[in-house]
Amino acid sequence: MAQKKAAHSEGFEREALVHLDTLYNVALRLTGNAADAEDLVQETVLKAYRAWDMYERGTNCRAWLVTILRNTFINQFRKQSKKPASVQFDSVEDVSIFESVQDRDPAGSFFRHIVDEEVTRAIQELPEDFRVAVVLSDVEGLSYGEIAEILGVPVGTVKSRLFRGRRRLQRRLYEYALEMGYIG
Amino acid sequence: MMTGWWLRRKRNRIKEAEAGRLDCAGIMERLYEYIDEELDDPRLVSAIRDHLEKCKVCFPQYEFEKAFLRFLAQRGANGAPPRLRRRIFQRLLEEESQS
Repeated sequence: MAQKKAAHSEGFEREALVHLDTLYNVALRLTGNAADAEDLVQETVLKAYRAWDMYERGTNCRAWLVTILRNTFINQFRKQSKKPASVQFDSVEDVSIFESVQDRDPAGSFFRHIVDEEVTRAIQELPEDFRVAVVLSDVEGLSYGEIAEILGVPVGTVKSRLFRGRRRLQRRLYEYALEMGYIG
Repeated sequence: MMTGWWLRRKRNRIKEAEAGRLDCAGIMERLYEYIDEELDDPRLVSAIRDHLEKCKVCFPQYEFEKAFLRFLAQRGANGAPPRLRRRIFQRLLEEESQS
């Protein structure tokens, strides 16, 4: 019995706890503040620990954990009033900011001047659907298929959210860089 | 036998024609999938690669998009704070002793 219990937590530590950074990063982007993010991660890890016997070994543990985290966020952390509204197409997504910078800074070196705080703020201002897709893909490096599985949407939807989220984020950072004089 | 070979050749030609027809707008539509290595069709991948190598319009934008994604990967991450790790290990120990 004790041996079984030890093997249980050892397996959990080895396979699940290595993804703590990913969980925290996604939690932070969902909740928008460190205190809630920490509570959300702890809640997620406990749920995963209790359900560890149900986790199918050898499948994608990170995607499994992020799915639990997202469901926990929806059920326990998100206030009803804050449910994301469906996002309308915005004309800012039609044009890449590359067209505006190609003569002055085609390599996008202005990105390097942007402070961390502003990067966080810009990501946070994205609509939730886009924000989650961008963070899972571009920060955490998950594939379109993994993201589709976590969010329960078709791969085509992931592609479109990524496209629109990236375009909006670029525009937001570009406008900040202009304000700060990082682009001549 | 002849028919099978002929059909295969015809299908291949259609695919090649599709790939060859990719103009700059077509490239831009697929650019993120190309960068993310999410395209399944190797012909399409090589058609896009060939186009990017030659095209003075698309190549700089491709480089710009890659720079943007590199920037996001480097600057968008937040590791779990040590106190959270400690808190979680503590909580798991309690959980273990209760079960």
